[in-house]
Amino acid sequence: MNRHRRRAQAHRLAVHASAFILLVLVLAPALWMAQMSFRTNDDIMGTAFLFAPTLDNYRALWTGSFPASFVHSLEASAAATVASLLLGVPAAYSLARWRFRASARVALWILVTRMAPPIAFTIPFFLAYSYLGLIDTVTGLAIVYLTFNLALVIWTMRSFFEAVPRSLEEAAWIDGCGVWGGFLRVTLPVSMPGLAATAILCFILSWNDFFFALILTRTRATTAPVAIVNFMQYEGWEWGKIAAAGTLVMLPVLAFTFLVRSYLVRGIMAGGLKE
Amino acid sequence: MPVGWAAGQRRAFLLGLTPSLAVLALMTLGPAIYLLITGLTPLTPVHPATALDFSAPLQNYRAALSSAEFLNSVRVQAELSLITVVLQLAAGLGLALLLNLPSRFLEVLRTGFLVPMVLPPIVVAVIWKVLYTPDISPMHRLLAWIGMPVHSLITNAGTALWAIAVADTWEWVPFTLLMVLAALQMVPKEPEEAARIDGVNALQLFWHVRLPYIQSTLVVVALFRLIDSIKAFPLIYVLTDGGPGGATEVTNYYAFVQTFNFSYWGYGSAIATLMIAGVFLLSWAISRLGGSRTIHE
Repeated sequence: MNRHRRRAQAHRLAVHASAFILLVLVLAPALWMAQMSFRTNDDIMGTAFLFAPTLDNYRALWTGSFPASFVHSLEASAAATVASLLLGVPAAYSLARWRFRASARVALWILVTRMAPPIAFTIPFFLAYSYLGLIDTVTGLAIVYLTFNLALVIWTMRSFFEAVPRSLEEAAWIDGCGVWGGFLRVTLPVSMPGLAATAILCFILSWNDFFFALILTRTRATTAPVAIVNFMQYEGWEWGKIAAAGTLVMLPVLAFTFLVRSYLVRGIMAGGLKE
Repeated sequence: MPVGWAAGQRRAFLLGLTPSLAVLALMTLGPAIYLLITGLTPLTPVHPATALDFSAPLQNYRAALSSAEFLNSVRVQAELSLITVVLQLAAGLGLALLLNLPSRFLEVLRTGFLVPMVLPPIVVAVIWKVLYTPDISPMHRLLAWIGMPVHSLITNAGTALWAIAVADTWEWVPFTLLMVLAALQMVPKEPEEAARIDGVNALQLFWHVRLPYIQSTLVVVALFRLIDSIKAFPLIYVLTDGGPGGATEVTNYYAFVQTFNFSYWGYGSAIATLMIAGVFLLSWAISRLGGSRTIHE
């Protein structure tokens, strides 16, 4: 018996050790880019492993047009997140509580919206935006992100609301609250963690977008991901700046991921996450 | 509850649902219909009159089916999808089996394994551009140091697609890992213990006891990744730009180039329509397989 337990313990230790080593290997490419951002361009081309860290790349970014594109990303993502929650949360609640005949079909439609290739939307959006003067505006981008977030909000929040027992709401109704009064006073407060996670997921998805911003913006509303690509095309290959910009763009996403990891996992599984 | 209350409740729910459905209809059905229409015209912004030219409505589709480039893009797409789905399922399953132990430590590690999936795709592309650029790549230096130097993998037509597939797999294994892990944790413990007492080995345990419980999840996850693989864009844009010689030009990328580089808007619309049709068929397959329910739990 004793030998058995010792073998089980050795197995456990081996699993933990190999999982840890694998994680280090998986994260190594991202860490490599992050350390590159603290090297000078000459240093990046050199072969030395150790180096004297410098903030030159970040300073160069600060004085260029990058901060403006960072702000555009923040504005478009935040606006789209707030708008999609305001629209999507009541819809999710209605779908969770109201069984009507077409509800399965509406759900499938929402799923297809998430699945459709972005190229299919960019062509009509580009034509319509040219006509409406929304090309190269933060508003135009926020509207696109709103559309795609909306499907996600409805899909994930519905599963959170379905988990809230109806008896709680019914008690509020008996006390004289209307449907939405009961929702605001009872169901929504209980679902706050889910709402926060959904909001963060929406923000990350908008923040991460590259394709729509690439096509629907030019110079005035460039987002941070597009700005990174511009460093590759127009200013030669400035690896230090590219790495620094990449590090700055991934930092908010990493911070959010670790902040709400357990809810994020639920959100990803409910939404079958997409970039 | 009184009838008036039920009717009022229905009205309230309708009020909550309508704005969202209206926005979704306007922003998704609208563009879809517009796309279908432009796909029937030779639309190009150089000649605005082409927007209403319906004289040969199927010409774009005919042109696509007889275009060697388009057919090549479909073949490249199929190859890339097959490679990435298989790699991601295999790696995700392997990792999930490893991490499927009750342990605080492994729970913390799991969050770390999610990182590649949540990173902005453009950052993923930059990360792999660094790894695939021989001048600065730690991978190329390491290979040279152990005496196996290799030329750039992304400028070689024979390896470029595999290079993309490896980067895509790195990005999306977290997703398959997450889903398979969730399914594994739902496998009841009793049959597993009974099998252990009977003295089966690890492989038999997996094949006969665990696999039957998780196979429906594996199918759904594979379909999800298959659909998503059709959208692959930032990696190809940054790493290879569709090259060399079309070796990594998937259908999505081909449509992008035709539309936004060459201004063949009508032709691009027709190809995008074909892609939507494909995605729709796959989504329908997912919902038939009970995918939405599995994903929901």
